[in-house]
Amino acid sequence: MKKENKALDMMWTVILTIASVLYMYPIVMIFFNSLKEETSISTNSAVQLPTAETFAGLENYLNAINSKGFLQSLGYSIVITVTSVIAILLLCSMCSWYITRVKGIVSSGLYFLFAFSMVVPFQMVMFTLSQTADQLKLNTPWNIWIIYLGFGAGLAVFMFAGFMKSIPLEVEEASMIDGCNPLQTYFLIVMPMLKPTMVSVGILEAMWVWNDYLLPTLVLDIKKYKTIPMLIQYFRGSYGRVEMGPMMACIMLTVIPIVITYLLGQKHIIKGVAAGAVKG
Amino acid sequence: MEKALKKYSPLFVIPTFAAFVIGFIIPFAEGLYLSFCQFTTVKNAKWVGIANYQRAFADESFTNALGFTVSYAVVSIVVINVIALGLALLLTRKLKGTNIFRTIFFMPNLIGGIVLGYIWQILINCVLSIVGEPLLALNETAGYWGLIILTAWQQIGYMMIIYIAGLQNVPGELLEAAEIDGANAITTLLKVKIPMIMSSITICVFLTLTNSFKLFDQNLALTAGDPKHMTEMLALNIYNTFYARAGAQWKGLGQAKAVIFCILVIAISMIQLKATRSKEVQQ
Amino acid sequence: MKKRLMALALTAAVGATALTGCGSNQTAATTAAPATEAAKTETTVAPATEAAPAADGSVYYLNFKPEQDQQWQDLAKAYTEETGVPVTVVTAASGEYETTLMSEMGKSSAPTLFQVNGPVGLANWTDYCYDLAGTDIYNELTSEGFALKDGDAVKGIAYVVESYGIITNKSLLEKAGYTVEEIDSFEDLKKVAEDITARKDELGFAAFSSAGMDGSSDWRFKTHLANLPIYFEYQADGIGATDAIKGTYLDNYKNIWDLYINNSTCEPADLAAKTGDDSRNEFLAGEAVFFQNGSWEYGNLTGEGKFTDDDLAMIPIYVGVGDEANQGLCTGTENYWCVNAEAEEADIQATLDFMAWCVTSEEGTNAMANEMGFVIPFKNAVESPNLFVKQDVAYTNAGKLPVSWNFPTMPSEEWKNGVGQALTAYAADQTDANWAEVVTAFVEGWATEYALANPQ
Repeated sequence: MKKENKALDMMWTVILTIASVLYMYPIVMIFFNSLKEETSISTNSAVQLPTAETFAGLENYLNAINSKGFLQSLGYSIVITVTSVIAILLLCSMCSWYITRVKGIVSSGLYFLFAFSMVVPFQMVMFTLSQTADQLKLNTPWNIWIIYLGFGAGLAVFMFAGFMKSIPLEVEEASMIDGCNPLQTYFLIVMPMLKPTMVSVGILEAMWVWNDYLLPTLVLDIKKYKTIPMLIQYFRGSYGRVEMGPMMACIMLTVIPIVITYLLGQKHIIKGVAAGAVKG
Repeated sequence: MEKALKKYSPLFVIPTFAAFVIGFIIPFAEGLYLSFCQFTTVKNAKWVGIANYQRAFADESFTNALGFTVSYAVVSIVVINVIALGLALLLTRKLKGTNIFRTIFFMPNLIGGIVLGYIWQILINCVLSIVGEPLLALNETAGYWGLIILTAWQQIGYMMIIYIAGLQNVPGELLEAAEIDGANAITTLLKVKIPMIMSSITICVFLTLTNSFKLFDQNLALTAGDPKHMTEMLALNIYNTFYARAGAQWKGLGQAKAVIFCILVIAISMIQLKATRSKEVQQ
Repeated sequence: MKKRLMALALTAAVGATALTGCGSNQTAATTAAPATEAAKTETTVAPATEAAPAADGSVYYLNFKPEQDQQWQDLAKAYTEETGVPVTVVTAASGEYETTLMSEMGKSSAPTLFQVNGPVGLANWTDYCYDLAGTDIYNELTSEGFALKDGDAVKGIAYVVESYGIITNKSLLEKAGYTVEEIDSFEDLKKVAEDITARKDELGFAAFSSAGMDGSSDWRFKTHLANLPIYFEYQADGIGATDAIKGTYLDNYKNIWDLYINNSTCEPADLAAKTGDDSRNEFLAGEAVFFQNGSWEYGNLTGEGKFTDDDLAMIPIYVGVGDEANQGLCTGTENYWCVNAEAEEADIQATLDFMAWCVTSEEGTNAMANEMGFVIPFKNAVESPNLFVKQDVAYTNAGKLPVSWNFPTMPSEEWKNGVGQALTAYAADQTDANWAEVVTAFVEGWATEYALANPQ
């Protein structure tokens, strides 16, 4: 019995190893292509490794960084993601606390609306949202977080409220009796307890905002700002000039920081996702 | 405490609520209204009643997109969940290298839809050209399976993590009891593990379902609806109606399609949640 | 404490990126703001004659031609330096002009200068087009024919006249034993192309560069090549537009398409993913003799390490219809400038001044002729050094009749996409059934799309 199990485990390990290698392949392939000379990147040779003849070194990377506004776009993407996630975490958790602690028609109405907004597809509000954002001039990387807060509030409130329902009231009440006002209670007592949920909400929202393509395309002032996904789409599109080399370099440049962040914060990310999902 | 908190309501509720009004409530209400209008901007809307809805249902590209989306959703939900659950079962067996496998399978999840779409477009086109099949732009079947492979690649890791969390919560005594009763691996899986992780299954099915219906970036980047709109899903169809067509007659139609799409997504999520929730074991 | 430090570091990092991010755009942002305010106080600005243009408006040009993106950016910068009027040029990605224009026009800072492709495009945007009658730019036109009118109103002005045909690498052609003079009919072209294909291994090059059907290149065939059967049908029927095309010359369309795809650098099935770049690179690398494209490619083909004028020629696209000995290049325009009538008055004025400056000032006309390689239909135009343009003039002087551009009468983008899809499918699998699909997309698609685009 035991032996059989060991052999079986061995087999699974081998199978999983092969599967993992295959799983990584698409990214590795892009990496190799990003090292090829632009003229030798073609449809049917994408799986070939670069040869001495086609090897271009870091030329594509330099090209992507220098001439295509990559660093600017990276900056905008970072600003948008960081501001949006901070706003969502702080403001939505506060709002959720209020909703769960103050009972009444307003709270339950709000909760319902937030939960409802979570299911609504973006296409429903695509046009009107971009018009509203334009009228209010919420079209720069510095203030588009308001839009993300509004459209992303649903999921965040839903997850925070779900968690708060499960934590006991007593601690908070005790702190209020000790003379803390709600604001102090919130920051000193409630927020620390929320940490695990904060992590999972933060990760989910950060992944969404960082990778979002359509919303910034429609809302941002494209005269001045492009985010990373917009930039990659733009590489594909410009007339008669699909710049495959810089595009692949650009893909690698966006993937690498994600992978590094992930490897560093893996434990939190995986825990956060699991926790968030089970609670949600 | 409620009273004290109520006094602070402006501080706690207003910021989020204000953003919510701007980012959701106003656009949603306007969108609903505009679906009954002909317009090019919000200001010049002209009421036309249900004409847009009639045209939406008569629009073949829309009904095709609906059919394509449904058949894509069914297959991808099954594929993703079966593989993710399988991996989760393997990775809870305490094999060597479990952590590395988990890390690798989860990784694609962090990459955005546009980027994923282009990565797979390059790979799939290369494979197709080597085996001498028509490329993605012409190949509806390849486009369909390409989308499924792409989204499976992206989402399996995520769902796997949720299943692992569920499986780790299954009490050890239950499994031991099953073993003592002489249940084999398959019976244990069907009779003990699956009922105990029903809540994880609910979540994963729910997530894959809504993800499938709302899929946009991957669709745009991988096939852009080619050939002839045959791989165009609902979200992309609506986007194209709105922005790829010039003229006042298209926007109202696009908005009406969006409303139908929205109702559909809500209805499906409700039914699905009800159906799976009723099967859950109360823990 | 540790956490707080982290937060501080994070804020600092964000701040730093924020600063580098906006540095380059600062000028545009700061100058744009007062402009709108000033617009309200000073509503009427005297039409700029020789005086300095009004300095209180701004220009936002949504450019259609990505090949000239850099040149437009430079020209805009030069104009801003000279006059202080901010000009922003945004170039839409290929195939996305309509979507970009559509979403940008919905915004409050909409483009002030955009373009339509002709009467069909104008139909969708006519409400947004400022009447250009009597403006400086209109008065500069060399011929009324370059104005796009809706009734009496002048809604658009053609700003560039272009030619396309088959760009030929003369040196390679000679290597194969032919000269351009020997080719003046479809039969000749076919003979040469097929002979080159037969000796492909020995010669080391192919007849045609890949007819890529990727979105960056498919317009060469679904639009430009498709112009020929439409042109000859219009000629035969004596019309200039139609709500239902008959497809009289589709067999000829098939013949030339067959020739392109079967005598190419790559397998016909691979064309679906070939890009405009692939095609140009092949031609530049001397892998193909012929390359169907237009005068706008001149700048990409000549220069350091590339071709000289002596290597190149552009020959007409022969399809085997009409008087081929007297057929010229395909010459016309699908680029009409329109001014956004809904823009602020000061911005409209600034835009009109900018347009006039582009076509009258020394710097503007120079840039358009020498940098962009355009032939512009305005009185002050500088002669373009563009070889293909010169050839077009030479052909016309030799009594050859240019083929006019009729693709602005195609009913919609959707129609072009339908034809393009069918062409690609046919290239991958050359059966009669697949060609029948092209015919269906061409003929029936035209009627369907025409009805959709022109609701009763």
